[in-house]
Amino acid sequence: MQKTRIYLTGIGGQGTLTATNLLSQIGLDNGLDVTSGEIHGMAQRGGVVASTILFGGYQSPKISPGEADILLGFEPLETYRALCFLAPEAVVVSNSEPILPIGVAMGREEYPDLNIIRSATEKHASRAYFLPCISLAKKAGTPQAANIVLLGALCALEIIPIKLTELTTGIRAHLKPKIVDMNLRAVDLGAHAVTS
Amino acid sequence: MSHPLLSTHQDTKMLLLGNEAIVRGALEAGIGFVSCYPGTPSSEVPDSFYPIATEGGFTFEYSVNEKVAMEIAGGASLAGVPSMVTMKHVGVNVAADPMMTLAYIGTPGGMIILSADDPGCHSSQNEQDNRYYARLGGIPCFEPATAQECKDMTRDALAMSKKYEQPVMLRTTTRVNHLRGPVSFGPLPKPKAKGHFEKNPMRFVPVPAVSRVRHNVLLDKLSQFENEAESSIWNTEHGKGRTGVIASGISRAYLNDAVTEHGLGENVRILELGMTYPLPKNLIIHFLKKIDTLIILEELEPIVENTVRALIQEQHLNIEVVGKGAHLPRQGEYSTTMVRDILLRTLNKPLPDHTPCEVPQKLPMRPPNLCAGCSHRSTYYAVRKVFGDNAVYSSDIGCYTLGILPPLRAADLLLCMGSSISAGCGTAKVSGQPVVAFIGDSTFFHSGITGLINAVYNGHDILVVIMDNRTTAMTGHQPNPGVDQTKIGKNAHKIDIEAIVRGCGVDHVTTIRAFNQKALVQTLEEYKALQGVRVIISRAPCVIFKRKVLREPDSQIAYVEEGFEASESVLTCLNELGCPAFSVNQGKVSIDPIQCTGCMLCVQICDRIKARKRSIG
Repeated sequence: MQKTRIYLTGIGGQGTLTATNLLSQIGLDNGLDVTSGEIHGMAQRGGVVASTILFGGYQSPKISPGEADILLGFEPLETYRALCFLAPEAVVVSNSEPILPIGVAMGREEYPDLNIIRSATEKHASRAYFLPCISLAKKAGTPQAANIVLLGALCALEIIPIKLTELTTGIRAHLKPKIVDMNLRAVDLGAHAVTS
Repeated sequence: MSHPLLSTHQDTKMLLLGNEAIVRGALEAGIGFVSCYPGTPSSEVPDSFYPIATEGGFTFEYSVNEKVAMEIAGGASLAGVPSMVTMKHVGVNVAADPMMTLAYIGTPGGMIILSADDPGCHSSQNEQDNRYYARLGGIPCFEPATAQECKDMTRDALAMSKKYEQPVMLRTTTRVNHLRGPVSFGPLPKPKAKGHFEKNPMRFVPVPAVSRVRHNVLLDKLSQFENEAESSIWNTEHGKGRTGVIASGISRAYLNDAVTEHGLGENVRILELGMTYPLPKNLIIHFLKKIDTLIILEELEPIVENTVRALIQEQHLNIEVVGKGAHLPRQGEYSTTMVRDILLRTLNKPLPDHTPCEVPQKLPMRPPNLCAGCSHRSTYYAVRKVFGDNAVYSSDIGCYTLGILPPLRAADLLLCMGSSISAGCGTAKVSGQPVVAFIGDSTFFHSGITGLINAVYNGHDILVVIMDNRTTAMTGHQPNPGVDQTKIGKNAHKIDIEAIVRGCGVDHVTTIRAFNQKALVQTLEEYKALQGVRVIISRAPCVIFKRKVLREPDSQIAYVEEGFEASESVLTCLNELGCPAFSVNQGKVSIDPIQCTGCMLCVQICDRIKARKRSIG
């Protein structure tokens, strides 16, 4: 089986842990060996939330700097901050729309230039994809589906052992019926953004 | 439909959090009684027991603190019921007194003590290594490393505890509590929730004459536990070669991943220890005789290392030991890369040449912040307005500890749960400086009350602000004695904080709505001028709890009056509150209508910020 370490990073409230659990569960549904991990606590109050998914028979849920085959960034600054986790030949899939840290929102700090984030990412990854997840999610029906947009993009790239069809099957199986259609649209929009 | 954790289907395999797997393991051992005090990283254990207690047929309670939780579970086990008590590592400090005695008198029904340690201080004030407690108390200890092991070791530990009538510790670390992995279920027996207390005062009442006898019993049982460790399925050897590794806890996962990834299976001989106290000395000696070099992997303290070094000396073996040092630190967590590097170095193999890229150091940080609409912000703002930097702020443990950060800067000292009143009294007594102590409702019930009684009795001079947000917010909205509402219904036995404060002999006590700035400031000014113990209860439900559990909608939102977006007063409000709903763009302040909860704190402070009805959708 293909061994893959995925490092997910975002901000409390963005649904990174929901995405982590969903993708891990779909992995298990499809017979993959899966271990995942999350670190939170103080981080819930507007802080960074990092989690991991490891397919293919890893025991440890932890990913160290230099070990991630895939970096899934739910927010561009957090993608930038997590570049040190990239293994050689890693792929980055990231939301391109910033959520401002409090220091930036209050006018005391500056958000780094998105072009700098993009070029640093391209330099350290073998491939990098940035897509406007929040806008695409709004188009799908709710900004809360931005996490699913990103999963749609990830699965469409065929770099993890979960196919796009398995993702959609998993969404039908594990999400509340009321929000399934919206999330399926989110998957489509995410997939389309990186494959067209 | 039955709850998934209570599944009786053959071949059930679920993706579970380590903490959920512990719950299933206890159920598979017929658990009848569970008590706890929540605390990260242990909280999902009790939070998973709580909603299934009725269906599962066992007794569950959130106790007011860890000592009480330990005593309650101990009492249940003394009456023959398999019991479990859960807490974070520092909670064991609170519960240590009854724990030590339980090891002497024993626990006839069986009893598991979950100690959830936190190497790396992800959410704690220290990273103490509670494997020392196992040794201090004479309590056997299991350390799982995967979700499946969390389940199976809990089951086996409870079975062993029942067999020997001694408490057993399940020691986890944050990584293990919060990992997720597939777990295959075993049979689910009927819970044993009822028992009978068999009188035996010469065992269960540890007067000195009894204690001396029971200490010998304990030592004898520990040697029987050592025999169990020698043959335990959780202590296993694999691999080959003259370079050995002894690993325990989550380090086993790091080791196995590093060995697989770098194809070192033929180069190292591995002894994995899952039952780590008492250590299986014969098994270890047998292992040591096959190697020349030994790497010891354990996070935090060199506990296994010291025992193994002593064994090497006793056995006159000539083995080079690679233990705690520059490459294997005594603080923080280990990792696969750290273990990989020590393996490759010891085997004289080259290290991988990939160095992780450098990320600029000065990126804007995202410090945890009080939520938009948090009642603590309002309380802190009023206190700073009245006392400024002239008072010493004695803080406590909860969301309100985040008051440490600017602009509120309302935390100057903190020891542990419940320390704010007593530590503040000591500081005030000798310094003569005014002290304001902040304590949350759950923390007040946990161990603030004793400090308050002491303050009154010993004539201390302190202003106490009880920040009553009607829930235990920090750890995920667990109930406490004061709450109106829990996740599964009304609180039938609500206890009134103001009545307790009065009952403790405090004459000056006022309860105020936390968002009423005028009343807060007025009372603070009034109490500032008084001597002795004064208490203000600043009350408003946690904004997340209000939305999720009380289901009370936010009816209003705040907005900046047109034309005043760049005004001095609005900018000051932004800078003094640090509310995450505010932002400034090119000098102009705006309030995010999605984040604003309509707490109306800013409206009271700044006359250029107005309220309006929240429009639907």
